Amino acid sequence: MSLDGPPLLQTRGARKEFGGLVACSDIDFVVPEKSIVSLIGPNGAGKTTFFNMLTGAYKPTAGEIIFDGHEVGGLPAHTITKLGVGRTFQNIRLFQTMTAVENVLVGMHTRLRGGLVRSILHTPGVKREEREALARARELLRYCQLPDRVDDEYAMNLAYGDQRRLEVARALATEPKLVLLDEPTAGMNPQESAEFTTFVSRLRDERGLTILLIEHDMKVVMGVSERITVLDHGEKIAEGSPLEIQSNDRVIEAYLGSGAAGTAGHGVART
Amino acid sequence: MMDRLHIPARLQRFVWPAIIIPLVVLYPEYYTQLGTSQLIPTLSTAVVMTVFVTMAVGLNMVVGYAGLLDLGYVAFYAAGSYVAGWFASDQFATHSVVFGAVGVQGNAIGIHVSIWILIGVAALFAAMLGVMIGLPTLRLRGDYLALVTLGFGEIIPQVVRNGDHLFGQNVTNGVAGITPIDPMGFKYAHGILPFLPDNFLLTANLDVWYYRVGLLLVAVTVFCSIRLRDSRLGRAWVALREDEIAAAAMGVPLMRVKTWAYASGAFFGGAAGCFYGVYQGGAIPDNFKLYISTLVLAMVILGGMGNVWGVCLGAAVLSYLNQQGLGAIGNQINSTFGTNIEITKYEAGLFGLIIVLMMLFRPQGLIPSARRKAEFEVIREEAETAGVAA
Amino acid sequence: MATETHTARRPVLAMLPRVTGALNRVLTIALLILLAAWLLTNFVKAPSQFGSVALIGLTNGCLYALIALGYTLVYGIIELINFAHGDVFMWGTMITVTVAGTHMGLDGSQSGLVTVAGVLGAMLCAMAFCATLNAGIERVALRRLRDAPRLAPLITTLGLSYVLSNAAQFFYGPNYTGIGAVLPSRVLFLNWPAKSLVVVLATIPLLAILTYIVRYTKQGRGMRAVAQDMDAARMMGVDVDRTISFTFALAGGLAGAAGTLYLLDITTTRFDLGQIGLLAFTAAVLGGIGNLTGAALGALIIGFIQAFNEGLSWHAPGEQWTTSIVFSVLILILVFRPQGILGQPEADRA
Repeated sequence: MSLDGPPLLQTRGARKEFGGLVACSDIDFVVPEKSIVSLIGPNGAGKTTFFNMLTGAYKPTAGEIIFDGHEVGGLPAHTITKLGVGRTFQNIRLFQTMTAVENVLVGMHTRLRGGLVRSILHTPGVKREEREALARARELLRYCQLPDRVDDEYAMNLAYGDQRRLEVARALATEPKLVLLDEPTAGMNPQESAEFTTFVSRLRDERGLTILLIEHDMKVVMGVSERITVLDHGEKIAEGSPLEIQSNDRVIEAYLGSGAAGTAGHGVART
Repeated sequence: MMDRLHIPARLQRFVWPAIIIPLVVLYPEYYTQLGTSQLIPTLSTAVVMTVFVTMAVGLNMVVGYAGLLDLGYVAFYAAGSYVAGWFASDQFATHSVVFGAVGVQGNAIGIHVSIWILIGVAALFAAMLGVMIGLPTLRLRGDYLALVTLGFGEIIPQVVRNGDHLFGQNVTNGVAGITPIDPMGFKYAHGILPFLPDNFLLTANLDVWYYRVGLLLVAVTVFCSIRLRDSRLGRAWVALREDEIAAAAMGVPLMRVKTWAYASGAFFGGAAGCFYGVYQGGAIPDNFKLYISTLVLAMVILGGMGNVWGVCLGAAVLSYLNQQGLGAIGNQINSTFGTNIEITKYEAGLFGLIIVLMMLFRPQGLIPSARRKAEFEVIREEAETAGVAA
Repeated sequence: MATETHTARRPVLAMLPRVTGALNRVLTIALLILLAAWLLTNFVKAPSQFGSVALIGLTNGCLYALIALGYTLVYGIIELINFAHGDVFMWGTMITVTVAGTHMGLDGSQSGLVTVAGVLGAMLCAMAFCATLNAGIERVALRRLRDAPRLAPLITTLGLSYVLSNAAQFFYGPNYTGIGAVLPSRVLFLNWPAKSLVVVLATIPLLAILTYIVRYTKQGRGMRAVAQDMDAARMMGVDVDRTISFTFALAGGLAGAAGTLYLLDITTTRFDLGQIGLLAFTAAVLGGIGNLTGAALGALIIGFIQAFNEGLSWHAPGEQWTTSIVFSVLILILVFRPQGILGQPEADRA
């Protein structure tokens, strides 16, 4: 249990408005270092919007977002990634015409230093860096349980489950401190989801990562989270341990009975 | 085919280059043997072809690798030519600087710098121009960026044509252009290796020498292109072309990477422009119409966006047609059928038609890159599933 | 490097976005004031010249409006800039030459009634031809590319632009062609000929018909629905393909009408007239691409900019700079205010 670590991510009054619509309303949120936290809520509750604010895809309308001591609200996405936030996407966004290895290598972009001129000249430094990067990429793919044969396969040709794993491998390549997983088990069968749950714990235990998860699959959420935060209509309506959330009336009401305690309810995949 | 010839796999990638490279490099030696048909590319045409191949490979970095549609590439080409015009002629007659130049007296008026150096200067100048244009505009989305580049592509020719009284200064010498421009030569190497002419203009076969320099330019450009493609930056370009949002989320700094693409493309455009200005002996506004941008774009599309060899092929074919081929074909048709059609007048329409047909029926180009092939499969599959679902 | 302390050490850097935003506004206002001052000086120095130049601007603005509306209609519905639209307009002028000049033999010597009937007939022919041409372009070339990467149809229309202008060169030759003075060139006031008044007056019913179609007809509703959300419109039963074809035809019809009016006003045309399309296109972007009122507004502004540039005497850059000026406007708009004057700023979607 590591909920008593220092906060790695903290938001104060984070707010996102689109014209007149308030997608996220003054959210205060803390993710302690090396914890596994889940963000749940019915469709349209503002979870992905919140993620997008954390990763720089959206600029917050108001409020503060502090990651690892840096104020990151409104910073461009690549800067936030460089600071140590990695993510996967709800609808898989792999680079389709790049191979698995190449996808992972792109993830390493900020951690590599080969520039334009040195790449053209193919200096020994660049050659070595590329070699090491390639080895690290393959190692990450193995760690994410992808078999050898997918390495040089185009991402678009991979099986759905492998694509999800590749997204995680790519996120890990950015050498993050915090990993944001957006509905990582969508479309997985119960066995795959269970394996994934174990994998998430391994990520934290073996790699010292902090994990923030958006999930609809309650089995996964209850199984792996140390703390759960619930959003509904852009507001935080509950926060606590899995047990507390399961018996929280407001939460049950928000879901209107779907995905409540014990049910392996898969969220409706948004098209 | 290669398997049937029992060529070991390791060497297969050298087969095509081993055939084509000598054919191209030794062309001046054997082309007279090919007959007297008007269709055989003259050496002069061959020089122009090297210029356009360089430009097309440069534009390919922007359009093919990074996926940024640049409709105003002529701006960099013009910039390169005018660098040659400014620093290798009498344009700035109030100064007198001679540095490694060929064919001028030591006390000549104007600025005369060695062309070898100027090609590099022109390339850097064009690259800087690319960065300047890119900084405010590269954050625009695809079609808006295309429009802005189109805007520059229209403005530059007009500025160049009217540049003889820009705020009271004669910058580009207006419609007449800056001419003559000093020739190239091996001023210093000539002492050590006498077969290298010290002034191309004074040789009996100046086209051959310019052709060789042109080939050198092509070789350098292709080399850089391939190195970049396989580098960290090259991967960032593909990622950015595929999915900007995901690329940024993976740490790719979009603006910086796009600017590098733009600057790289501009670099080689400027080099090509400088070389061509020198070869032609002048920087002349009539050469810098918007149409050139479209022509080079057509070369990239025809060849196969993203595949450097395809682009070389597309550029060679279209520049040949533009310089000599269309006219020759027209003459053949006229003499065979007794007609009197001036085919060269319809070049723009023909090339436009090529663009349209390629986009409709073979958008991946004549020689697509492996990625393009894969990309178009994705599109076809998505369209099919959409068709099934709808 | 901690971003927090970075901006703490250099508070100027944190303020930069706000400063550049304010700087933008200040510079824009300064620019507009300078422009106004220049116009005022010209007006004071030569008021009648100013007036006649302004009327030229008005006339051209009306023509540009008809063309700009075509661009904006198409962009609004499928987010595509049709580079060939200007050449469709040029074909409108050519068809008018053929119908009104060659076939009908109109040359101003016929009676008023015959002339009016002939002109209307020619206009309808031009409109029909251009509508068919534009819809044909969509059907044959662009429909296939609807799912292709965004730049593919853009490049295709660029290629088509050259095909169309070259085809005109083939059929009508490389030189100027035209018709006689069909409409009266009698000067009304301030050097403004009657035919230009006809152009302005003729634009009004055309705009009215367009507004009626867009607002009150079933096709117009379909167009607006597809422009908002193609999938939703399809699910509501709108025939998306037919609606898009209709839009292209409508845009083409407007271009054809503009072609006839242009020819009647200027009396000559040439195969490369399509370049005017880019001026009209800038107008559409200036006003707010996708916004019909914006297209008309932008067109008037561009018409005035061109006229003032070419016609005023005090420190006017002159005709050889028109293209550069208009394109500079295009670039500035796209960089600083891409939604144009009347458009909505785009939401920062992921």
